[in-house]
Amino acid sequence: MTAALTFTTNEAAIVYTSRLMEEDRLYFVAIGGPPLLAILLAKQLRTPKIAYVVEDGTIAPEMPVPTPPFMVGAGLASSRAVAWTDMNTVDFHAGLGYLDYGVLAAVQVDEYGNFNSTFLGDDFDRPARRFGGPGGATEIASLCWRTILMTRLERRKFVKKLDFMSSPGFLDGSLGARERAGMPAETGPYRVVTERAVFGFDDETRRMKLLAVAPWSSIDEVLGEMEFAPLVAADVAPLDPPTEEELAMLRANIDPTGRTISGDWITLEDAGGTLRRAAAEPATTNA
Amino acid sequence: MAPNGKTIAVLDEGVGAYRAPDPDGMRRFVRDHKDRRLVDKRMTEQDAVSRFVDDGAYVSYDTNVWRRGPSSLMREVIRQRKRDLWLAAKFSAHDATLLTAGGCISKIDVGWMEVGRVITEAMNAGRLKMYEWTNGALAYRHLAGALGVPFLPLRYVGGTDVFRNSGAKLIEDPYTGQAVCLVPAVNPDVALIHVNQCDMYGNARIFGPGLAPVETAMASKRVILSTEEIIDSEEIRKHPGATTLPYYLVDAVVHAPFGCYPGTVPGLYRADLQHLMEFGVAQVQGKMDEYLEKWVFSVASHTEMLEKRVGLEKLNVLRAEETHTEGYYT
Repeated sequence: MTAALTFTTNEAAIVYTSRLMEEDRLYFVAIGGPPLLAILLAKQLRTPKIAYVVEDGTIAPEMPVPTPPFMVGAGLASSRAVAWTDMNTVDFHAGLGYLDYGVLAAVQVDEYGNFNSTFLGDDFDRPARRFGGPGGATEIASLCWRTILMTRLERRKFVKKLDFMSSPGFLDGSLGARERAGMPAETGPYRVVTERAVFGFDDETRRMKLLAVAPWSSIDEVLGEMEFAPLVAADVAPLDPPTEEELAMLRANIDPTGRTISGDWITLEDAGGTLRRAAAEPATTNA
Repeated sequence: MAPNGKTIAVLDEGVGAYRAPDPDGMRRFVRDHKDRRLVDKRMTEQDAVSRFVDDGAYVSYDTNVWRRGPSSLMREVIRQRKRDLWLAAKFSAHDATLLTAGGCISKIDVGWMEVGRVITEAMNAGRLKMYEWTNGALAYRHLAGALGVPFLPLRYVGGTDVFRNSGAKLIEDPYTGQAVCLVPAVNPDVALIHVNQCDMYGNARIFGPGLAPVETAMASKRVILSTEEIIDSEEIRKHPGATTLPYYLVDAVVHAPFGCYPGTVPGLYRADLQHLMEFGVAQVQGKMDEYLEKWVFSVASHTEMLEKRVGLEKLNVLRAEETHTEGYYT
């Protein structure tokens, strides 16, 4: 594998998420954005036999690449599916336990993997910044066996207290908390993926645990970007940077308009066998 | 208290407002107001909206302005300056923003919606109240409404701030003894549904993945269909398996080719991305009034908007460039 030298924060998170995909599993994925791109990338490069459903009721589509612009609206996004059903039907399938993994994006996440996609501020009725709302994320994070979350590693995103809990992780972290709130047993958050670190959850305490860090970053740097202190695995693994092959596929075929993969640039230099961030980096590609 | 002296424990409940479910009220409405005869229901969008969308109504629709949604009917709602509507935004696109900019809605049950400054500003000004649900919970509440039951149990929403801000309840399930969430049925006053084909009676076909068109139509007291194409009733009877909605659910049939414009009806025409960008820019620049003037108020109808604002040339391009038709009309 060739180490890529320049990529965006979103590209890194999409690549790391795509590497988590397990062949032959069934995924419930957000209908657009980085989670869907991660699935599409995985299907192209690594795990062609994974299948996914989206909440409009499309089951196991095979979206052609290059993908169409304005993917959420395009008919091609549902092409070559095995069935066109509806929202209740795919939610029923998740409720029955057919959906192994949910893949979702989050605005804010806390140490138990609960997350926010509703608003920022301290007054629900007068939001400082309002977002689209839970969408299908609450049912996906409740009913799939395991949930993978994607977000940026920033202090304002990894918070001690969410401004609003749109969707559940392990709630207050106590044993059986999800079941007591009416959710199916043995479900919950599994991974949180960012551009420089990947987290899991501790089996005993259900607290977030740092599992892997990009070699150009460090454990200290990661912890410095979080409002709460996660557990740290005894053996934190290195996150291999995106490869040229992964980036080429993403840029040419998965998101040719560049709309979703844009982000802050990360440029790496090879300094005598170790990768480090270049001193001067270009400006952000979007706000 | 049940006759045997046992109660079902309500463990927790949200504080969000919702209309009290009234299955018998729905049945009486159907008995007294829904036509069971095969009658010609074709009418103009002006007549359909003025007859069946009242100020203060709870309005539901399927799917959204980006994809097979009732965009032309929404523009007519804005044109007629309907007020104080309560919108079910299950997987809404910028529909909620349009209706908010038009001053039509005061409450939204939200699953997901495209959000920009229009909605944020309306909320902060106290003109718009949001009730938090989820896409699935709203589709499921429509299912409860469609089944004619007052509520349904479901295994999510509980434990979250969505629960806290909604009308959901958490109870101890009398069968398993475990906690389970309940959500109230919703029976909208009116549903706006854009379909691919229907006959003059309202027997309708929808092609492609839906959101909850069947549940939405069944749950709603009034159903306005806009349709790309009106087909012969004999065609319906030749292929009964292709019918999505039977006529007696439907109150109005509005012929509206390009009825989802600027969105797409997959298999027929693609979305007008240029228009969607114009909308986005208008919102960012705070020029929604100008946008609405151009696309809604300065034209008398959907047909006039297509002729004067979009133009035949653009419409032909949108049709020609929707090259993927597999599974829809083939």
